[in-house]
Amino acid sequence: MTDPGSGIGHFARFGIDAAMCRRVLEAATAFGVDDADLFFEHAATTSVSLTDGKVNRCSTSVDLGVGVRVVVGDQVGYAFTEDLDLDSMLHAARVAAQIARGGKVVAPVGTRRLVIPDFYPVDRRWDDVDIGVRVPLVRDWEARAFAKDGRVRSVEASLADTDRYVLVVRADGQLAEDYRPMTRAYVGVTAVEGSLRESASYNVAGRRGLDYYDADRQERLVAEAVRRATDALHAGSPPAGEMPVVMAKGSSGILLHEAIGHGMEADFNRKGISIFADRIGTAVARPEVTIVDDATLPGARGALNVDDEGSPTEKTVLVENGVLRSYLHDRISARHYGVAPTGSGRRESFRHPVLPRMRCTYMEPGKSTAEEIISSVEKGIWCESFQNGQVQIGAGDFAFYVRYGYLIENGKLTRPIKDVNLIGNGPKVLESIEMVGDDLEIDEGGWTCGKDGQSVPVSQGMPTVKVGRLSVGGGRS
Amino acid sequence: MSDVNTQRRDLLDLAERVVARARALGADEVTAVASRGSHTSITRRDGKVEQATEATSRSVSVSLLVDERFSSHGTSDLRPDALDAFLARAIDATRYLETDPDRRLPDPALCGRLVSDDQLEQLDPDHLSYTASDRAESAEALERAVRERSPASTISSATYVADGVSVLARVTSNGFADTQADGWFTGGAEMTITDPDGRRPEASAFYGARHRATLPGAGLIADEVVARALERVGSGPIASGAYTMVLENRAARQILGVLGGALSGNALHHQRSCLAGKLGERIGSDLLTIVDDPTVPRGLASRPWDGDGLIAERRPIVSNGVLQQYYLGVYYARKLGMPVTTGGRSNWILPVGTRSWQEIAAEHKKVIFVNGFLGGNNNAATGDFSFGIQGVLLEDGAPTRPVSEMNVSGNTLTIFHQLVEAANDPWTFSSVITPSLVFTDVQFSGM
Repeated sequence: MTDPGSGIGHFARFGIDAAMCRRVLEAATAFGVDDADLFFEHAATTSVSLTDGKVNRCSTSVDLGVGVRVVVGDQVGYAFTEDLDLDSMLHAARVAAQIARGGKVVAPVGTRRLVIPDFYPVDRRWDDVDIGVRVPLVRDWEARAFAKDGRVRSVEASLADTDRYVLVVRADGQLAEDYRPMTRAYVGVTAVEGSLRESASYNVAGRRGLDYYDADRQERLVAEAVRRATDALHAGSPPAGEMPVVMAKGSSGILLHEAIGHGMEADFNRKGISIFADRIGTAVARPEVTIVDDATLPGARGALNVDDEGSPTEKTVLVENGVLRSYLHDRISARHYGVAPTGSGRRESFRHPVLPRMRCTYMEPGKSTAEEIISSVEKGIWCESFQNGQVQIGAGDFAFYVRYGYLIENGKLTRPIKDVNLIGNGPKVLESIEMVGDDLEIDEGGWTCGKDGQSVPVSQGMPTVKVGRLSVGGGRS
Repeated sequence: MSDVNTQRRDLLDLAERVVARARALGADEVTAVASRGSHTSITRRDGKVEQATEATSRSVSVSLLVDERFSSHGTSDLRPDALDAFLARAIDATRYLETDPDRRLPDPALCGRLVSDDQLEQLDPDHLSYTASDRAESAEALERAVRERSPASTISSATYVADGVSVLARVTSNGFADTQADGWFTGGAEMTITDPDGRRPEASAFYGARHRATLPGAGLIADEVVARALERVGSGPIASGAYTMVLENRAARQILGVLGGALSGNALHHQRSCLAGKLGERIGSDLLTIVDDPTVPRGLASRPWDGDGLIAERRPIVSNGVLQQYYLGVYYARKLGMPVTTGGRSNWILPVGTRSWQEIAAEHKKVIFVNGFLGGNNNAATGDFSFGIQGVLLEDGAPTRPVSEMNVSGNTLTIFHQLVEAANDPWTFSSVITPSLVFTDVQFSGM
């Protein structure tokens, strides 16, 4: 392994050098492996928050460490340490190496630095932004929220940001460095009208610097929180049962995330436990449906210059004109299937092994207008904002929670609804997507995806879409 | 245990140094928690190890009050220079904030412990002598048990064994200094089988315990995962409507949990709780009694003191349907001008009935036995909830079809009035120790 030379300075940040990495990888690969890597990470997070009319809380955290992964076939040994001295790293490597033996020996060789794109350039890293710059921003959001509507009773707001530095050194000699900014702003509003009381929130997030918070975004952050809380005051439950559901543009991408996204993660498929296993090349939806998972959207929360095992990232087509095209691969599943990785190998932190994960999942736009789609529904619901979702990979059943929407009666949005769970079966729902709108929007919200106890930031998007039937939790008919 | 005692001393020393350093840098009040944890896990799938992990982790967290301004911080970078710089930056950042004098530390007289670690039995005395080969054997035995029982329709099965030990020291600038140590063991299995309808339903059975001997045997876990997987074959929705719901003991925490958010000082203070103003009022039937008990030996949420360092005590939360207490830590008690209780839930214990849930179900014409949830959420401000469910339809006590793709919806303020009986099967592998619960007239949506 040669010294990485210029780079972007991560070796110095971690207090390591190429010789140390070589020794640790030699220990990790001592019994013969198919793959091994070191994942160094340094993350510094700051958040300030407002409550009771004051910006009176701040928190910071620093996370530093290295994960050592050893792979033999589809078997993984994993250890990590927060001490980056050579002895601690060698110990972690020896622990990880115990997993299995007898793979093809891959000796550490000369370093190749992966040249990566920059999907999230920032002028100024968050480390260079004073707390004193954050405080007035957050205070101003509260003032604006109160000014927008007399029914606003209380406001909470926060601004959080992270500078994350990662360095992946692989046993095959490839090295990749990345700087990953992240910021998220939140405004929560409680509104009161007579005896009615409701809370709602809005948040925006991206791999961006301070310039993310331009005037339009700040206005939308506050206005949407106030609108959702005040509109919800008069919202009720929809009737219960199966009915057509119109998914509004934007955060409705949660449908894709749960109905197909997880099922297309290749680890579930190589194990045969996904309902989409063995279905590549088959039709799963109407020809107007094309679904992608894209790491390359500039500044998106789910964007990645390089994945967490050093693979280049891409825009992966999951469903093309209704036909299943590709799973989301990490290096293990790519080897299993004999294909190239899709740059989907991700981990929550150095404490976690790599898994195939989504990045930004969305449906390509179709030809219908939102008005045409809504007017085609005699009785159903229109869903605009969502809180959480879940899926059973093998059965294909999935659910997501609708925070707010409208009842559709005779092609018109008639009355607001809220707090209802929707449940369906992934393949059945994909088949029942009847109309696709021309208004794709990538949601700006701070979505986080959980899998096997690991959380990673993701994005999602959607044009307005009509689903023929979904089971809507609701009140008595 | 000598390792643990050494760790206690080292962590106490580290936390005390952090408090002293933060005070020297200008903090008026400081709480420091230094912790160290180790864990190992082995996942086996289809006859071989799929993943093995092992690690030891350390961190320091610190809460500061500087000129009546509050902040909290955490770091895993414990290199001396880095820790010093971290504290200096933390204190500097705090000065930018607005004041929040309610963040003061609690009266030391309220803090400490009444129960020893020995009484709480949070650490298995044999835990530290549990070896790598013990773990490997345990993982193999569990997998063997599952594979021996696997039906022909099995696509894949996986088993998981894990354990860990954590030790922490908590020190405050007004005199609190104590340590606690606990351990945990997990054993579980997952199974995916073929459904003739083309789906691949999955099921799991997971158990957690403080002591290894408390975990059930491999055979029991294997029997359970197989039964649960086979039960899922051919599942689907049934007609929407009101049904009697039997909520399986281990699934009940999802519905009981809707109370938790509304009981919190945070929700009350921010006027986001449907239980505001209901102290002393009836919020459920006579059968709803919940005791918060942090002193249960081997309890999964037992503790000697809470997050504020307040002495952990048994507390009635709901007694015979009447709300007795909110969760008020030091900060929100001050904000609300109410007496402090404790800031967060420990073990919840519900009383046990006399009959099995099957006996109870047999008395009802149509029952949905709910043994799992899929998605859903609740609104603490209004009390509305809506969750996806899975389970079994029983007619006159006999299971007639597995149910999925359905939702259960209701409201926190009304659902517990519909609680008509508790079964005799308390589930002890959770911090919510409850028997199966029976509710009438519950709204389900399906076809």
